[in-house]
Amino acid sequence: MSDQDEFVTFSLTVDGTPREVTARWSESLLTVLRDRLGVRGPKTGCAHGRCGACAVRADLGDGDPHVLCSCLVPAATAAGGSVQTIASIGGPDGELSDVQEAFLAEGAVQCGICTAGFVTAATELLETNPEPTRTEIEEALYGNLCRCTGYGRIVAAVETAARTRREQKSPVPLTTRELAASLRTGPEEAR
Amino acid sequence: MSGGVGESVRRPDGPAKVRGEFCYAGDLTAEGMLIGATLRSPHPHARITRIDTRAARALPGVLAVLTADDVPGDLHFGLTLRDEPVLADGVVRYAGEPVAVVAAVDAATARRATQAIEVGYEPLPAVTDPELARDGTPLHPDGNVYRHVSYGCGDPDARGVVTVENTYRIGMQDPAFLAPEAGLAQPTADGGVQLEVATQWLHSDQKQIGWATGLPPEKVHVQLGGVGGAFGGREDVTLQVHACLLALATGRPVKMEYTREESFLAHRQRHPGTIWLRHSADADGKLISVEGRVLLDGGAYASTSPVVITNTVTLLQGPYRVDNGRFEGWSVRTNNPSCGAMRGFGVPQAAFAHEAQLDALAAALGLEPLEIRLRNALQRGDVATYGQRFDAPTPVREVIEGLQAIPLPEGIPRKAPGGVGRSAEGGEIRRGIGYAVTIKNLAFSEGHVDESTAEVSLCDGHATVHTACAEVGQGFVTVAEQVARTVLGASTVEVTQPDTLIASAGSTSASRQTMASGTAVHRACLAVRDRLLDRVARAHGLDAAELTVADGVVCAAGKPLTTVAEAAPGQIFRATEHFQHPDTYALGSPEARMYVGYGFSAQRAVVDVDVELGLVSVVQVASCQDVGAVINPTQLLGQIEGGIVQGMGLALMEAVVVRDGLITNPDFQDYLIPTIVDAPEVVSTYVTDPQPGMPHGWKGVGEPPLCTAVPVVAAAVRAATGLPLPSVPIKPEHIALGLGTAPTVSWTTPRPADPARAAQVVVDEEPRDALGTMAEEGAAPARH
Ligand code: FES
Ligand code: FES
Repeated sequence: MSDQDEFVTFSLTVDGTPREVTARWSESLLTVLRDRLGVRGPKTGCAHGRCGACAVRADLGDGDPHVLCSCLVPAATAAGGSVQTIASIGGPDGELSDVQEAFLAEGAVQCGICTAGFVTAATELLETNPEPTRTEIEEALYGNLCRCTGYGRIVAAVETAARTRREQKSPVPLTTRELAASLRTGPEEAR
Repeated sequence: MSGGVGESVRRPDGPAKVRGEFCYAGDLTAEGMLIGATLRSPHPHARITRIDTRAARALPGVLAVLTADDVPGDLHFGLTLRDEPVLADGVVRYAGEPVAVVAAVDAATARRATQAIEVGYEPLPAVTDPELARDGTPLHPDGNVYRHVSYGCGDPDARGVVTVENTYRIGMQDPAFLAPEAGLAQPTADGGVQLEVATQWLHSDQKQIGWATGLPPEKVHVQLGGVGGAFGGREDVTLQVHACLLALATGRPVKMEYTREESFLAHRQRHPGTIWLRHSADADGKLISVEGRVLLDGGAYASTSPVVITNTVTLLQGPYRVDNGRFEGWSVRTNNPSCGAMRGFGVPQAAFAHEAQLDALAAALGLEPLEIRLRNALQRGDVATYGQRFDAPTPVREVIEGLQAIPLPEGIPRKAPGGVGRSAEGGEIRRGIGYAVTIKNLAFSEGHVDESTAEVSLCDGHATVHTACAEVGQGFVTVAEQVARTVLGASTVEVTQPDTLIASAGSTSASRQTMASGTAVHRACLAVRDRLLDRVARAHGLDAAELTVADGVVCAAGKPLTTVAEAAPGQIFRATEHFQHPDTYALGSPEARMYVGYGFSAQRAVVDVDVELGLVSVVQVASCQDVGAVINPTQLLGQIEGGIVQGMGLALMEAVVVRDGLITNPDFQDYLIPTIVDAPEVVSTYVTDPQPGMPHGWKGVGEPPLCTAVPVVAAAVRAATGLPLPSVPIKPEHIALGLGTAPTVSWTTPRPADPARAAQVVVDEEPRDALGTMAEEGAAPARH
């Protein structure tokens, strides 16, 4: 039995709930989420960091949560950290977030296997850059592959979400409270 | 009523998908579930000298290890020729061919068990050149030619003033749906098996599982698991049979899920091919004759190769009138990966070649690209080279004129060519504009019965729709809901998960499900509506003929009477209706009806090319497509944009690289599909000339945008660079080094068509009947 097969036990907060995990050293965060914890929102498209279907927002212990490919993260490096999957994204009272709403309205979802990753990445983009240009949208989302839509409707969805957010001009919690709390306060949010 | 046909209704499965709660096949689990894994051949061609599974079986946690000897039923499966073993049968014919499958308590144990199986191979020479394979020693008892077709029409030797010929090459494209193959099989109490799987064709899976397990269809239950894209790549069986065999052998649920690498090895690719074309035209650009020859590499097993080849060969004429021609093609067996269905089904290959030829002719004659296309545009009433009359709207001129009305993009380019691949300071950037027009046959062809069945019920305004139509992302669930709202006035609609408890809907392929399953749903809704109206008429003492449904309200002689929801409290109305397209026949049959119908598409691409680095940025693709009717504008646009970007992928970057029979790039690191940075702006307009015999005049829309995008992007890059670029994908080195042979242009002495040979189709060789599943769906292939 190689080192890779040795088991480790650690704790991890997933979507706000503390979880205890026993997993092989070699397992990715994606495998731990999906197969050990039954958290099925992040998807497996390639398992080698090239499609973004597995994207989650994670704080790996440095207090700086950001979106990453969970298939590339050895699970044990997330020990003591906190992971927010697509299940943490939503509007108030269980409604859809404005980004999710825009994805549906613009037809940015076909088979949907890429959608959780795109919504996760687009949500982070709009939190840091409420008025992204088309080029900035592309820069933020080029790690996410979509084979169905040709991306046109996805760009439209992000633009629509940004526009609605600007028009509403109210600091409504666009993601769960927990996610909002983890934001660094920038000039836009302070407004 | 809101939510009906013609509106941008949202997908009913959308909310679950944006929340990450939609259950895909890869998300399935069951109590006591085992994990299945596959041992694959590392050799493209080898004799198996021995298989020893003892060490694998002895591993703790391993519950089954199966080889060909353990298959209780018929070892062979396949969509057409049934030439492929479920597990290798003494010889392996491609690298990746399944040799053994195992079921174990978890994935790591299952993987270790596959590694513990000892297989002795005696490598054989791998035949990877389709030309050598065609004429060489048989690689299989069924021979190396899947199908040879050859026919001519009119006088193929007629000539105009100019004749252009060249040889074109198309690479192997992977469907690269984003969710790898997955399924969960469970033994059932009656000794049968149930499979939830991401597939395109439930009944085809059911039939092939039945062959291998020896079970009757009523003991094989197939249900659709959530599908993460398909594009043809899920039409063939991959893990379906293996998962069922393992579940039956262990008596426990067995889940199988491929890795991305396995996905590349296991499913069918788009046929790579070589196409030679010779076009002759008169001084006005009118086509006088076309000759073509096609060689498609079908890889190790038949899949749909016998069907794909006729698509490519017959549609070499493009959307143009061709009275004189000679066409021949082969799809052949090699030791390369098996090829089969992929969006476009043989037509993107033809389109790439014929559109390059049209541009070469236009250039030789000094005509504008669209002018030569307008002068040759097919019209209703024309006869195809294969003898079928275009007896439905044939709006080729209309799609070209529609395209001409779309303005060119303005302003300075937003990004430099190369997208994320750009790693150096670039050179000179040149803009190019290209055009392409294509014809795509819609629905199954050549006697493969194209049908579907729908069960619809209605109670208190709530409709339930049940079909076996696989939703793979294309949005059939939305269309079905829209139809139920429009026809029935239903206030809520549930489209249930497809299964084999209802008759076959055929495959979700060939742009066919709105036409087939949509029409079956439409018919069932009409029948349910009539049953409801009869009941209302009786209750009110009215004549049912005076009653109508509009916007969810039942009207008598145009005046509101009651709502659909309140018309018959608590009562259920139900109907099951079938739809089948008129019969089609094999190429060369006297009925001269190979195809159900066609979609036409015209596109213009604007590209910026860095001519020194060889990098391309597709700035804009404008499209005008013949769509019959617009059922859901947003979903339609999604099909157009998605198809264009997938076609652009084939034109510029996607190629499964096969060296000595081995795929060298079976991952997303080295097999590049377009990213959001590569995607062009798409401007999409439509011609809506209703398709006869179809509700609302709808027709299939999914494939034409891809078929046109391949040639249009190539044309634009040619326009920017002045290079001939006769191969796709166009790689940076093709541009930077100017690789590729230009068409031969010869000025010929006009030779009018010999009237004695006028306009009849002559098939040189008896067409081989397409055998197996698709034909068995009820076809009686023509015999002469
Ligand atoms: S699954 Fe992680 S990037 Fe593809
Ligand atoms: S919607 Fe299918 S991959 Fe994006």
